[in-house]
Amino acid sequence: MHDPMQARHHHHDHDELMRRPKDGVLRVGVAGPVGSGKTALIEALVPLLIERGRTPAVITNDIFTTEDAAHVRRTLAGILEADRIVGVETGACPHTAVRDDPTMNQAAADELLERFPEVDTLLFESGGDNLTLTFSPALVDLFLFVLDTAEGDKMPRKRGPGITECELLVINKVDIAPYVRCDLAVMESDAHRVRDGRPVVLTNSLTGEGLGTIADFLLSHEAAQETASA
Amino acid sequence: MNDPIPIPALLTGLQLTDSAFPSGYYTLSHGLEGFQQARAVTPSSLPALLHDLLRHSVGPADATALALAHRAVTADDWDEVVAVEQRLHATKLGREARQAAVRTGRQLLDLADEVYGTAPIERYRGLYRDGAVRGCQPVVAAVVHAGNGLPVRQAVTCELFAFAASFVGAAMRLRLTDHRRAQVVLHGAAPVIEETVDAALDRELPDIGGCVPVADVMAGRHERAEARLFAS
Repeated sequence: MHDPMQARHHHHDHDELMRRPKDGVLRVGVAGPVGSGKTALIEALVPLLIERGRTPAVITNDIFTTEDAAHVRRTLAGILEADRIVGVETGACPHTAVRDDPTMNQAAADELLERFPEVDTLLFESGGDNLTLTFSPALVDLFLFVLDTAEGDKMPRKRGPGITECELLVINKVDIAPYVRCDLAVMESDAHRVRDGRPVVLTNSLTGEGLGTIADFLLSHEAAQETASA
Repeated sequence: MNDPIPIPALLTGLQLTDSAFPSGYYTLSHGLEGFQQARAVTPSSLPALLHDLLRHSVGPADATALALAHRAVTADDWDEVVAVEQRLHATKLGREARQAAVRTGRQLLDLADEVYGTAPIERYRGLYRDGAVRGCQPVVAAVVHAGNGLPVRQAVTCELFAFAASFVGAAMRLRLTDHRRAQVVLHGAAPVIEETVDAALDRELPDIGGCVPVADVMAGRHERAEARLFAS
């Protein structure tokens, strides 16, 4: 498997103007098609971030508002206080809510940080449902894009800004690939090809496979950015 | 030719009203989703609902507060700005409407400081930091428009147009209209917007506050709805 840690951390080479001002809070977008496992990934990632000394909170953008937030709350009961997981209504425009006009996500983040100033990691889950979704650089420091094997091994070849622009591409549900006629080797190699060698990670959020790699990637990305701005 | 509105000020009004301006408005249905969930609005009654909300809700509340705050900023009367905002916030009965006004207002304040950076915006930010104001959107909009030199009448018109455009946009996503009829509805609201602007400009501080009991009931139900697309 390709080691994401060996890949370049910030392939966009964003102009300094495009970077969000540093405030000590790592903001991470989690995008991907409906059903690819974004919520399960966040549920598996939060305990790993806490193990690594982080204090996370979660903002979910769902078509019907609180459904995802309620699911995350149930799953993370005892791990993350319910008040640290909020849902943002997107007015039927989940893409707009994280890309073109992230006003309400920023407002939700501001309110969370006012209430919980110790939070140092914010995860934004997007309800955006196609391959063109990206996150505004004014909202997040980096974003993951989550595909899953059930969508078919053709998905990386369809490219789309979500797949090609994200800082880390996740191929989830690797365990069911043989049952959904997905050639995982093809899917992975195509993903590397369309991303010009930028990082790709294979995961199974239910067993935790690959999740540690994601957690380490996020923290090393932050460290790299801090070094770059120092 | 006598041109009462300087082009630079007009351009700021257009910029703030444009749907591409990140106002957060597309997440709001301004009460429409509550009516839709209760099956209390149809495509044919949609224009009447928009007109009623303009005349009896947005006009006496947000538009009036905007007009009064704009005049207060222009007169450098910041106590009056604070008083207008306190009254406006107190008259918003529903949680969603209060929350939406403050969320969109604070973000507008932050962005407008970066985009326009006028002295009134800085003064208002100082009041916000001191806790004297909450950042209600209509009052922040008044500060921004006044700072940009857009006259009060045009400023109120811009904000009412933005409301109406956002309302019909929400109607489209709720399948209460289509992209062509939406434009007919929007243009059909123009005389009501003009009437609402005139009424807002005539009101005084004690007049701030809408009276729309059915819309308040719908908003209360919307808060508790199991499923929502919109934040209001």
